[in-house]
Amino acid sequence: MQLISYPEEDANKGDYLVIEDQRSRKGLIIQIIDIQFANIPGILEDILRDVMTEESIHGSDVDPLDISSQVAVLKDTKLLLCKIRGALEDGRPTRNVGWLPSRINSCISRFPIEDVACEKSPNRPIFLGGIKENPRFIIDAKALDGKLNIVTGKKGTGKSHLSKLLAMSLLDHGAPCLILDVNGEYTNLTRRIGGERSPYEGKIAVLTPRLTLRFTLAEIGLGTMLDILLHALDLPGTSARVFARIWRQLEQDNDLTMKSLGEAIASSDCHESVRDALQSRYNTLVDSGIFADDPSAASSYSLVERLATGGAIVVNMKNQSFMIRRIVVELLLSKITELLSRGRLRAVFLFAEEAHLYLRETYWDDIVTRMRHLGIFTTFITNQPDTIQESIYRQADNIFLFNFTNERDLDVVSRAAKVDGESVRLLVKDLPAGHCLAIGDVVRDFPIVVNVRPLDVETLGGTRFFFEENELTCST
Amino acid sequence: MMMAVDDEHGEPSPTISVGNPEKCVTIPLGRSTASRVAAADVSSLKVGETETGMLVAIRGAVVWKSDEGYEYVRCGPLTFHLKHGTDGASPTVSLGPGSGQMFTERAISRLRNALERWIQREICLSFADAVILFDGSLTVGTPDNPTAYLARILDTARKRGNVVSAFSKSTKLCAFGRRITSLVSTAQAPCLVDVDQVVTRQFNTYPVRLAGHVYVAKLVEDGFAFRLDIDREVSKDARIEAMNRLIASDVVMQGYPETLRLAHIFSAFTANEVIAVQRYLASAHGLRISPRLSIRKSLFGPFGTWEAA
Repeated sequence: MQLISYPEEDANKGDYLVIEDQRSRKGLIIQIIDIQFANIPGILEDILRDVMTEESIHGSDVDPLDISSQVAVLKDTKLLLCKIRGALEDGRPTRNVGWLPSRINSCISRFPIEDVACEKSPNRPIFLGGIKENPRFIIDAKALDGKLNIVTGKKGTGKSHLSKLLAMSLLDHGAPCLILDVNGEYTNLTRRIGGERSPYEGKIAVLTPRLTLRFTLAEIGLGTMLDILLHALDLPGTSARVFARIWRQLEQDNDLTMKSLGEAIASSDCHESVRDALQSRYNTLVDSGIFADDPSAASSYSLVERLATGGAIVVNMKNQSFMIRRIVVELLLSKITELLSRGRLRAVFLFAEEAHLYLRETYWDDIVTRMRHLGIFTTFITNQPDTIQESIYRQADNIFLFNFTNERDLDVVSRAAKVDGESVRLLVKDLPAGHCLAIGDVVRDFPIVVNVRPLDVETLGGTRFFFEENELTCST
Repeated sequence: MMMAVDDEHGEPSPTISVGNPEKCVTIPLGRSTASRVAAADVSSLKVGETETGMLVAIRGAVVWKSDEGYEYVRCGPLTFHLKHGTDGASPTVSLGPGSGQMFTERAISRLRNALERWIQREICLSFADAVILFDGSLTVGTPDNPTAYLARILDTARKRGNVVSAFSKSTKLCAFGRRITSLVSTAQAPCLVDVDQVVTRQFNTYPVRLAGHVYVAKLVEDGFAFRLDIDREVSKDARIEAMNRLIASDVVMQGYPETLRLAHIFSAFTANEVIAVQRYLASAHGLRISPRLSIRKSLFGPFGTWEAA
């Protein structure tokens, strides 16, 4: 749908309008997805004439009817490219959009989309930021519950900022969060920007592999260990069967420690190649430093307790090798899945930054199917949208899109099932930093551009610079 | 009342005469001292129709070349609602034969003409020792185009030392079996070809009179040739000197003086301005703009002729 907009009318991309048909008493809710100059015949001729004559020719106009101002209006008249998002029947929003309003008997006005996209007073409010003419745009945390979310955008546009906001808002409502942090951006959320303690101190625990994230073999269990060996360390199936036999024997002997596991592998009577395979994996496990024989050094219980009481755990994987990241994630997901299956945890909100760096291929489908039903509700955060499988985009319940200018990236994100590709392309490519296009259940499928609010915590996500501003000033 | 004479619209097509083109004198031109050049043009346009008449917009422009470059004064658009038939006619407009649509067309022409003649008289009064350029020809003497009014303008111009010249962008005048503009094809520019004798002979049986001495002007090589009328009452030498001053003072692109070209550009309506006038009329007078009903299109739809498409 295309609308004409005169210069005095303030219309921006993402704005919602309603076209009310006076006769049928119905209205169409539309969203502006692109703004162009109205291609009026002869406009180029006018502009060329102005340009060619404005410097070389001076004069005066006797224009008693002030037509020249009308011409100026026409030159700046815009064409609003809009998409139909819904309808109003007797003031109530509906999805019945199989009709068109009259071109003659309709009036167009701004539509307060928050009235239909969100609860007026949600039980679990999350203050996301501001939208046009409403500085307090609030969504319901319930819209993130049991959902698959994606936060994506190019570098420096505010993805991590939004994911922190979502995680902390969920924490405010007592929701347990597990954050897989590859850049160490979430490690200081317990501090305000000035350095004082934030209200989240005591609610967020930062676990670092080797230092504070350690497990005993008994805590891990054979199933989780086999997941690590098979998926993270690529142990062949035959060797895995030998490993399972050794593990069970040690369990029977009540001697399940890293030391005795190493000795058992070394002395096992299996084929030499199997023994070598097991030995090399064992050495990797030892080198990872996340396995402890001393139960007091292990963190598994605190992990469970923290999540069960509505806290957040940040797994700081900064400066960790690819192998360690995979082992840690495999271990945590396996462990949490087990805890959820046993009912020791109700649900967990998982925030996975740059998941392609540590998540194995088979987990993508697992996350949107099995794990989701168990109670792991994932939010993927990435600046490389093509690293997330297309099936994830199609099944995502909520997508928060920040600016992308690269056509290929726009191609990928436009595959989201919750909105048409054209809207995504046109709205996202012009989003300013800190603004996102919220799509999906959080906005009841009315895509809304949100200016994400600032956070009063240390986010550590900014790029570190070598040159300082004042240094530059001095040198010049 | 003077007839609107724009590029000889309404001027009778004279009989084609056949003879020897060699009889026409070619007058070479050369740059003389620079002088002031001024030009005037007026445009009129039908911007819409109502059930009872027609909406018209008129605009005029004067452009002159000064030491600082080109300057202009533009007047309009002025809008009018002209009712079909004589009922709505202003008593100050003398009525000629015809009624209804034809009357409206003539009324537009007269309105346009009134503004044009007023502007022409004003520039003849305002400038001195200048070359004044009009658009069209200096043909008078039809019922809508009496001689007296233009004669007064030319007289005013002469008293102030101005020479009035009129350039026609197209002409129907023929001599020796071809259009007069083709007579200069072999002549070396800048030059004038005097076709006055052969042209005036063709008008003997018509009531119209040529107030200008008729030339064909070829002002630049590879440019177009134009019919040029220069005030007949001015001496021959003064006429040629006026053209010498014109080519010395003004930019001549494609054989057409820039000052006159700008006057045309400033007076003509662009599509955008037509929409602006329509928007003004709609908002100021509560008119509702709707597309014109095409009976042909309604009857035949896609099976009509190409004209309806």
